[in-house]
Order: sequence, then structure tokens, then C-alpha cells
Amino acid sequence: MSKHRSYKAEKFLERLGQKLNRQMVGSLVACVHCGMCTEACHYVLANPDDPTYAPAYKADRLRKIFKRHFDWTGRIFPWWVGGKSIFTDEELEELKDIVFGKCTNCRRCSINCPMGVDFATYNRMTRGLLVSVGIMPEGVAVVSKDQWEIGNQMGVLKEDYIDTLEWMSDELQLELEDDTAIIPIDKMNCEVVYSINPREVKYDPRTIADAAKIFHNAGENWTMPSEGWDMTNFGLFSGDDALGGAVARRLYEKVSELKGRKLVISECGHGYRSTRCEGPNWAGMDIDFEMESSVITMLRYIREGRIKVDKTRNTTPVTFHDSCNNARSCGLFEEPRELLELVVTDWREMYPNRAENYCCTGGGGAMSMSEYTPNRLKSAKVKADQLTATGAEIVVTSCHNCVDGLTDVIRHYKLGMEVSQLVNLVANALIIPEKKVIVEVPAVEEVVKEPVLKGYKILVVDDEPDILTFFSSVLEDNGAEVLEALDGDTAVELALKEKPDLMTLDLNMPGKDGGKVFEELRNNPATAGIKVCIITGRPELRRLIYDRPVTPPEGYLDKPVDEDTLMLNVRKILELA
Amino acid sequence: MSDSKHINHSIIRLVKGDITDLDIEAFVYYATSDLVLGSGFGNSISMRGGPSIKEELEKVEELNIGDVYVSKAGEMKADYIVHAVGPKFQEEDTKTKLKTTMMNSLKKAEEKGIKKLAFPPMGAGFYGTPLPMCADIMLQSIKEYLEGETNLEEIVVCPLDTREYTPFLEALQSLA
Repeated sequence: MSKHRSYKAEKFLERLGQKLNRQMVGSLVACVHCGMCTEACHYVLANPDDPTYAPAYKADRLRKIFKRHFDWTGRIFPWWVGGKSIFTDEELEELKDIVFGKCTNCRRCSINCPMGVDFATYNRMTRGLLVSVGIMPEGVAVVSKDQWEIGNQMGVLKEDYIDTLEWMSDELQLELEDDTAIIPIDKMNCEVVYSINPREVKYDPRTIADAAKIFHNAGENWTMPSEGWDMTNFGLFSGDDALGGAVARRLYEKVSELKGRKLVISECGHGYRSTRCEGPNWAGMDIDFEMESSVITMLRYIREGRIKVDKTRNTTPVTFHDSCNNARSCGLFEEPRELLELVVTDWREMYPNRAENYCCTGGGGAMSMSEYTPNRLKSAKVKADQLTATGAEIVVTSCHNCVDGLTDVIRHYKLGMEVSQLVNLVANALIIPEKKVIVEVPAVEEVVKEPVLKGYKILVVDDEPDILTFFSSVLEDNGAEVLEALDGDTAVELALKEKPDLMTLDLNMPGKDGGKVFEELRNNPATAGIKVCIITGRPELRRLIYDRPVTPPEGYLDKPVDEDTLMLNVRKILELA
Repeated sequence: MSDSKHINHSIIRLVKGDITDLDIEAFVYYATSDLVLGSGFGNSISMRGGPSIKEELEKVEELNIGDVYVSKAGEMKADYIVHAVGPKFQEEDTKTKLKTTMMNSLKKAEEKGIKKLAFPPMGAGFYGTPLPMCADIMLQSIKEYLEGETNLEEIVVCPLDTREYTPFLEALQSLA
């Protein structure tokens, strides 16, 4: 009697047959188990005694199924060639933990395989097969659904996106004291349409302002789209080609609608690969405009003399981390180095580098799969060693995913480094031409500006005394009346008694954690109106906060937070110009 | 090509855009059995509608495939949200279950006195129902319902983008 196969397993096999092409089959049959891939994989390096992490071993899980059902030898002599079918939902779940939890699709094993086996590509395909039957980590489901239905992978609503662009536009005008320094939205016939990662809107709007500053000073005719603006693509991570195509198509169609001549993609490894390299195939579209990484755009502006930079403004020692998707999959590794030469005084190479660099370990959607976090951080030992060996204080990367991944690694291994992007360094080094303005000299009248936070009461909650003191000092220096709490219970007590206008709230605290404090205050009518800015060193807890059945926080920041970022966000939340 | 079709005294219209931001009396949310809003349109509902919707849903018992629950829409533009639990991820008998979900959604909306109701492409996108099949079943179900005795005046089908819109437009044109 033949063994019963579950409905999902049937569908998995059915779709596997549809997905096999020459590239996949080549990779599935070519492996000679030489072991070269094992030395290339950061998971193996961290788990040398566990063979289940070896790329060849992981690959064999799908290879056995392929042999059993699609290779003639395996169909006839499965026992001879190691063909083995899949029958149960439990087996599919087990496969899920391998393809999502033990690989970041970084492709380092692929480029080190002498037989040309591209394990990462069919690991991605296996992910897609599982997703098609509804088997995936919760985080992958959450992010995929956001990108399918809201149009971006962080669930940023259109009104919040536009609001952030307008806010950054106002900031730029103020900083440059120039009314023409704006972020144009949906402007037709521009030379550049600039697309971004939703992380920039939600957690790092300063990168948008920095890019705008560079475009403005270059005299660029540019715009940002009101819709279809997300250049990231979770389809690359989840293996869902339909999602990949839908997301890419939305962006391409918007650029065409605006009659833009060039699509510039902000610094994001998987976004660049998805939009520039994979998207046209997924979407099945011919693209009638150019596409370019913002790294190349910035380099071009400097070379063409459209912007001038002063590298002595960036003197802290810097190293560069190559994003896997940029470097290994797209060959984008010399341009960021040329740009670094121009905007920093001291940058050191990390070894190995370029296409041989190790993954930040947060790639392939790993940052959204909290169930695998301990394994991920364990596998990051080689990355931590690489970073430490450089002696740099800042690690620069051209990828938002790597920013989060590296931040986590640095925190976990206590490396004391900062993470930055090229756009931040270029903006900081930018020489702003002085405006020649003839001003009539009025009668001398001293204008004393009031501190911006005067009259505001702010409660700062954090269990780390150093951070508490730092935030308090910044806020007090700007005129706020500051209250402090080192734990959740005191925070609730002070919030009830003092009714502050705003509270900054750490999540991970002993006793009552920040999440509980937040929900308790939101559920109490007396404190529900207090504005809250979550400031946490645990980015993986974001979703837990937004999933609570209460109004979401007004702000959210990842540690470390500098003075400018803190003030920028406090002013935004309190709606201060 | 026309983006609307009259069925007796009612009309079916296609409107491209974000269903959760639509100026309409009620819209359908493709829900899970536990009625947890989750991400995607569920996230939009939570953010735009406020916590009262979640609070109402938490009091409802788990539903089966094909079941429907109508909630208030909090601070959204719509007055009601029709939470419809449809088939997902290549489930067995997807076609039959999707049709049942459609008919129950229309029926429950009508029972609530709703006159104008919007549907997203039910189960397409994240849940993987192929768009041509989705468009065909949805429009046939709506037509069948509107041909009976009904007070529903307008049914809007609201695809999010061109990729979704085109198959619905084609299906609407060929709706006999």
C-alpha cells in the first residue's frame, strides 16, 4: 500500500515540477559533495560540529525530492541514487526551518562552488514552494502581506509616507535657509525619480533628508513618487516570484507614468538587486528608463563637479561592509570604495571583502524571523571578528538590511561601533555654497530664541543610567522639563501623576517591560493621550508593539540614538517646526 | 472599455486603489478564522480605524471557512467592515469555498442594511489565488446575487494596482 501524502505535500511537488528550469536542474544534479561550500558558509563556521548546516547537506534535502520525482534514475531506482519523497506537513515544516532558518541566501557558497551549484537560488525556490502552500515563518507572512496589500514591506500608510516627506522637506528648507530646497512629489518629466526603502520612512528619515540635500545641491531635476515608491522587494527573500513581479511592476509603472528618465535606487542591497536586476524578469516588463544605485549617482555628482565635498568633516576611522546582494549578485563594490576615498579621511578595508565578504547575517529576510535570532547571532561570530580586526569605529554599508543586521551583531558582541551609510557621509561632507544675498542692515535688535522644548514635560524611561542621563541632558538643554524612570512601574506611576506631553520608552527592562507599560498607559483614558516614542535596542520587538490592540506609538527609534536624531524625532512627534 | 456593468437595478464597478481608504459604506476584509487583523489591509484597518475594531473582534468566536462577520469600522471612512474568511494557499476546493464566501459576504452585508459594498480581489496576492480564477468567481457570484431580489445598489471591486485591475476588467467585459 502506498504511503499517504498530505494535500500540501502534493501541491508542493506539483509546483516544484513547474519551477524547474535548466538553471535549477543544473544545480540539482551537479553537486559532487566536495565540501568547498562548507568553508564558505558563516553558519558552518559557527557550528563546525553540526553537518546539518553544510550547504551541500541542506541542498540534499531538496535534491532527494528532485531525484525521486523528476530525475529518471531516481524514479526507477530511488534507493540507488538517494531519491526520497516528501509526505507530511511535518516534513514540510522541517524543510522550512532549514531553508529559512539555516541560510540567509547570501550566495557565498554559490560563488565558491567549483561545480557552479547555485544553492542560494534553489534555497530561494524552496522557500517559494513552501510559501505557496502557506508554510513560512510568521515574520515572513507579516512582511509579505504588508507588501502585497499596502505596497511596502513595513506597512507604511500613504498619508504617513507623504507626511514624512513633507516633514523632511521642511527640515531641509530650515537647514539650508532656502525656500527652493524641497522634496518634490510626483513631479513630471524629471531626470531622476528617487525610490527608497520603507525603513527610511519609519525608522531613519534622516537618510531621506540627506539624499534630498545632495540632489538639491547638485541642481538635480528630481522627484519622489507618491505611490509605488518602495524599491525593496520581499519576494526576493520569500521566494514568491509573483510578489516580486507585483512590487517591481508598481515601481516601474509609476516611473513611466511620471515620465522619469532615470530611476535612482537608494542604498539597499536587496532593493537594488530586486529592482535593477531581477524585477524586469519577475514583472515580465521591458523598462524604458535607466536604473542606477544612489551610490553611483553621488559619485557621478562629485566627479562631474556638481557637488563639492570636504572629507576632513569625516575623520572617524571607517570600514566598509559589502552587502551580499550588491557585491556578490550585482558586482557593485568598486564604486562605494571610490566614494569613500572622496568623503572620509581614514577608511580601512575589511577582509575578506567585495564578493568574498561575509553576510551581515541579517540578510534573506532573517531580521523578520525572530524564532531564528539566537542561531543568526551565533553565526555572526565571523562577522564580528571581521569588524573588530579593522579597528574602525564606524562601519559603512550601502544596505538598509545590513544596517539592521550589523547593528544587532555589534550590540550582541559588544563591539562599540556605529553603523552608517554613504549618503550620511556624503551629506556631512557636502560643501554648501554660500548664498550671495544683499541685505539691508536693520537697526540692531537682539533676537533671543526660546528653547524649542520650553513648556513641554517629557518622561524618559530607560533602565540604563547612561542612556537616561544622555537623553535627559539633550532634552533639558532644549528647554524641556524632564522626568526620569529607570523601570516600568516608576514610569507608569510618573505618567499617571505628571501627565507628560511625551515619553521616550525603552522596551527591554527588568520587571514590567516597555511593551506592558505602553499597553497599560494606552488602555487608561487618563494616560492614553500621552505621546510615546519607543527607543529600543531590540529591533525585532517592533512588530510586537505594533500588533498590540491599542493605538500605535507616535515614534520608534533604534538604539544607538544620537542627539540630532533624538531631537528630530521629538520635534516631529510634538509637531514643532 | 467600460469599468462598470448594470445588473437589474444594481451596478458593479471597478475602482483601482486602496480599499481601506475608499469612500464607501462598507468593504470586505479577507480575514483569518481567528479574526485577528494582522498585517496588510489588517494593518491599515488597525491604524486608520483605531482600537475599537480589534476590541469588537476579540469578542467574536472563531469562524469557519466561508463564514462572515460584520463589524463597525471605527474611525475609517467606511461604516462597516465585512470580515470574510475565505480559502487560502491552494486550499482544497478553493473555487467552491470562494463562491460560498462571496455569497455569504453579500448576504450578511444586505442583512446589515448595507447598500454599497466594496470587495478586494478575494484571496489573490498573499494567499495566492490566481487572478483570472479570482475575477471569474467573484464577478459571477456578484452577478448571480444581484440577479435575485436585493437592496444592494452598488458593488465595487477594488484591485490595488494595474496587475490586478486588468484581469478584472477583462472578466467584467466578458460577464454574460
